[in-house]
Amino acid sequence: MEKERVLEVQDLELHYFTRKGVVQAVDKLSFFLRKGETLGVVGESGCGKTTMATALLNMPTPPGRIVGGRILLDGQDILTLSENEVRRRVRWETIAMVFQGAMNCLTPVYTIEKQMRETLQQHRAMDKKAARGRMKSYLNLVGLSDDVLRRYPHELSGGMKQRVVIATALFLEPKVIICDEPTTALDVVVQAQIINLLKDLKEQVGLSFIFITHDLSIEAEVSDRILVMYAGRIAELGTNAQIYGPQGPAHPYTQRLLGATPRLHEEVEELAFIPGTPPDLVAPPEGCRFHPRCPVLMERCAHDDVPLREIEPDHLVACWRCFDE
Amino acid sequence: MSEPILVAENLTKWFPVKRSLTQVARGERTWVRAVDGVSFSVEKGEIFGLVGESGCGKTTTGKLIMKLLDITDGKLMLQGEDVTHIRGAALSEHRRHVQMIFQDPYASMNPRFTIEDVLMEPLEIHNVGKDMAERNVWVREILEEVKLSPPEEFLARHPHMLSGGQRQRAATARTLMLNPSVIVADEPVSMIDLSTRAEILAMMKQLQREMGLTYIYITHDLSTARYFTDRLAVMYLGKIIEMGEAGTLIDGALHPYTKALIAAVCEPISGKVNRIKEVPIKGEIPAATNIPTGCRFHPRCLYSVPECWQEEEPTLDDIGSGHMVACRRHREIQELGDSARTSEASLGIRRTA
Amino acid sequence: MKRDRLEQLRSFWDEFRQVRFGLVGLVLLGVFIVIVAFEGKLLTYGDVNTRWRDMLYWTNSPRYAMPVWVNWFTGKDYASSAVIEPHNVVEGTEGLRSVHMEFPYEYKAGRPPRDLLLDLALTGQVALQMTIERPDGRTLSYSKQTSSSGSQQLRISIDQNLRERVYQTVASGEDPAIAASRNPKQINAVGALFAKAQPGVFSNPEVLNGTYTLTLNVTLVGPSASVDRAQVVIAGGVSGILGTDGNKRDLWSGIIAGTKWALIIGLLTSLISVAVGVVYGVTAGYFGGWIDSLMNRIYEIFVSIPLLPIMIVLSAVFKPSIWIMITMMCVFFWVGPVKTVRSIALQLKENSYIEAAHGLGATHRRILFKHMIPQLVPYAFASMALAVPGAIAYEATISLIGLGDATVVTWGQILFDAFSSGAVLQGIWWWIVPPGLAIALMGMTFAFIGFAMDTILNPKLRTR
Repeated sequence: MEKERVLEVQDLELHYFTRKGVVQAVDKLSFFLRKGETLGVVGESGCGKTTMATALLNMPTPPGRIVGGRILLDGQDILTLSENEVRRRVRWETIAMVFQGAMNCLTPVYTIEKQMRETLQQHRAMDKKAARGRMKSYLNLVGLSDDVLRRYPHELSGGMKQRVVIATALFLEPKVIICDEPTTALDVVVQAQIINLLKDLKEQVGLSFIFITHDLSIEAEVSDRILVMYAGRIAELGTNAQIYGPQGPAHPYTQRLLGATPRLHEEVEELAFIPGTPPDLVAPPEGCRFHPRCPVLMERCAHDDVPLREIEPDHLVACWRCFDE
Repeated sequence: MSEPILVAENLTKWFPVKRSLTQVARGERTWVRAVDGVSFSVEKGEIFGLVGESGCGKTTTGKLIMKLLDITDGKLMLQGEDVTHIRGAALSEHRRHVQMIFQDPYASMNPRFTIEDVLMEPLEIHNVGKDMAERNVWVREILEEVKLSPPEEFLARHPHMLSGGQRQRAATARTLMLNPSVIVADEPVSMIDLSTRAEILAMMKQLQREMGLTYIYITHDLSTARYFTDRLAVMYLGKIIEMGEAGTLIDGALHPYTKALIAAVCEPISGKVNRIKEVPIKGEIPAATNIPTGCRFHPRCLYSVPECWQEEEPTLDDIGSGHMVACRRHREIQELGDSARTSEASLGIRRTA
Repeated sequence: MKRDRLEQLRSFWDEFRQVRFGLVGLVLLGVFIVIVAFEGKLLTYGDVNTRWRDMLYWTNSPRYAMPVWVNWFTGKDYASSAVIEPHNVVEGTEGLRSVHMEFPYEYKAGRPPRDLLLDLALTGQVALQMTIERPDGRTLSYSKQTSSSGSQQLRISIDQNLRERVYQTVASGEDPAIAASRNPKQINAVGALFAKAQPGVFSNPEVLNGTYTLTLNVTLVGPSASVDRAQVVIAGGVSGILGTDGNKRDLWSGIIAGTKWALIIGLLTSLISVAVGVVYGVTAGYFGGWIDSLMNRIYEIFVSIPLLPIMIVLSAVFKPSIWIMITMMCVFFWVGPVKTVRSIALQLKENSYIEAAHGLGATHRRILFKHMIPQLVPYAFASMALAVPGAIAYEATISLIGLGDATVVTWGQILFDAFSSGAVLQGIWWWIVPPGLAIALMGMTFAFIGFAMDTILNPKLRTR
């Protein structure tokens, strides 16, 4: 039985209105997240993954604006709600985010307790004692001891800070947590710790995650399904086995990315790379946005906008070459 | 056999920590032992990797080789000459032989300079070339070498007008201006997109072949290190704990720390999603001011026995074909496997309730 | 970086042109420079530079007169100030020598002037006979004899000297009862003289327009007696392009003359002090350690020395001069930017590219001057822009205490004279606004130029 969908995004469009022109950062994005699964969003700089994450909380970074689409959380389109409603009922209550580099944004002059409580009291009327109780239980949940509350950020290691941030995202018991590059600044051992924590939370608490990173290796070990973004669009969306399994991904971009990822236990003769740079999203290329850099370019790729189509159950690709087969 | 181009003997760098008045009164002194006796040698044309987590001392070692920091103790030899304490003109000469590529390609170039300014600077400092014409030719040639072509298109631009990959090429070009023999590369591709990384690394390899360069490659990424380097040294808290040929070391790691690192690395293989990562290590990295006695890894080691902290720190044991490891139990661990463990791994979730 | 300098300048100009407020700044600066260059032609009182404080130079101006253009906005306009030269000069030679002069005055304004003066320079003994004939035929007469034999100046003012005569001239037109009750010495003489001789002439005069003629007959006694200068001065309600101040000085001339000093004081002081301050701060921040500590101590010494007592001591020793003042300001103002610049330097020092420069073998001097100080140019320009009005104001404060250079006119001095005379309370706006506006405009000029240069010099702010 297919699990219920806890988040559904339909034709999401987000544009940045800059002086140089309109940057079409996210272009007709559609995907869904099932309860209890981790959806990995992978892409390189400028592909729109962080932008998309901010859109899911309905807080696009100015000069960005959501210009189209629907974001259904538990069946309700949060883009139709007023800012007040979103703040009260959606943000942090239903869907929370661990921002990129959040652990470095902890204010150095306040204790952890004060900072966590600030967020908590924005959403719940709680007295100090009750707040402390809840914070302690969530700190424990992420494997930190109670006395972390009394500490200042500089007294904690990188891994501990990140866990504080995760606890803060959890303590209102949202259904969906978006993690944007949660392990990028951390050492590999601590990274493994955090990854284990997220897996454990998924199982124990039944959370659904959206895990954003540029690192394909981490996605393989963390995500049930993987969404590959390029230039504001979805290139490929498939299960872990479909992307990382023996047959390999379908989209040439994903294939190249995988080929560019070095292996620890294999002797790789030559790593793949993709010449060129991602396109300027003010004037994106016609047809498939990847076509200028594609190694297996066909004629129609340069003219016809390519739709996202299912080529096998649960596996969607936006590539003309893949449809032919 | 020819002499190695670079030799580090017991290289040490200790940073003084600011003291409180009472400490001054008592005559106490605390040191951050960033690099604590590191020895290795690098052959000409080799790519030698320094790998480890943050705080292990790899970047500091790189800076010591570059002589951006003074060496507290030990010796550094370049092309057979002792360069440990050189100053003045000799130091200036040293700079022409050893250059560095920095991690952040944007921050490593003055944002107000044009690429031409950036490349001309080393020539101006060392008064290279007869005249402007010669320098211009040299600059354009190097830009072609790093595949920033046509050079004219890049000379007038500022760093922020280039992509990350292009910037790193320009930074590489800068290091080549003085025709060095050794290049220290500090995480050169970690801030660059995945799809461009291999391009940069390929360029670096090609330059190595063409110009006979030797690289000291510093990184925390074991997978890239395996791909790029010939030999690797794994550092922990300021010391090399294992060293050897890259593939051999990773496939047949002997030191418990190296094993833990390898176990922690993620791989793009399916089937791991629902499995907890087993990393054979416990605890957290201690501060570099408070290095554990005996083997410095012992508090986190799952195989430690009393000798490990009671006896002196183990030295690098050569077990053949260049593979060296600093662990007194490595043979036992190799034979007995998991049953040699004396404690539990604690990477899982520790809950008090 | 050894590109063609001319090419550099040209490309710099090309970019500067594109930044609009930079051009505004340049235009304003151009205006100021033109003012300084053409000062001679623009001044209405040519000797303003040397005689600003000479009260005699200004005696013929009205006090607190408004600018002439105020008349465009008022219903009843004010009488303009004027100086009337002798007309119809006839020298009589039969018998005693005498001189006859006429001074016609066309009075058209809606309000009476402040005063009417007969300004004479005489030599020797003379007998004067003065008559003022009004348009309605009434006349005012006055005679005087001088006794001394040398040269003398004589000023006969309606308001000061002839109130009783005016009373006599027009009293008959007033209601007898009221006329009797008024004290001739306390009437508004000038107002009455230029008003219709009708009831209310003393309390609520209605202007009498027309030609007023002052006739002067001078009998010269003795061979050496002569009339050297004779003028009738109308001290109007309005005078000059910017009016006059409480000391009767023409403000337009004052402002024009003050322009060059503002430029000199402002530019020199801010340029030198900011340049020194920036280099000082960067050096301290860059080197750190004991050099930084030492430089900080020196800085603190300078900061804690109050400039004012030093100026007082200096003025006791030397004659106060604007150049000494500028030098002193430079010597003490350089501390301004130091703290901020030092913090910026501390941050800049951590940048990778500084480390990279070290790695390339760059000397400290190179790093300081090629890498660090250029980053501070925007801040330096901003500092300079802010320092300009500050320097001008400081100079004015000094002048107020009397330590200023009395030989020069500055905007700051005008402004301070205005405040200390209570111009604000009295509503003498034309004394306050022009100098204040001038100081603000000059500050704005440098701010605009500074911002424009920053936009160019800081590549990250470029829009293309």
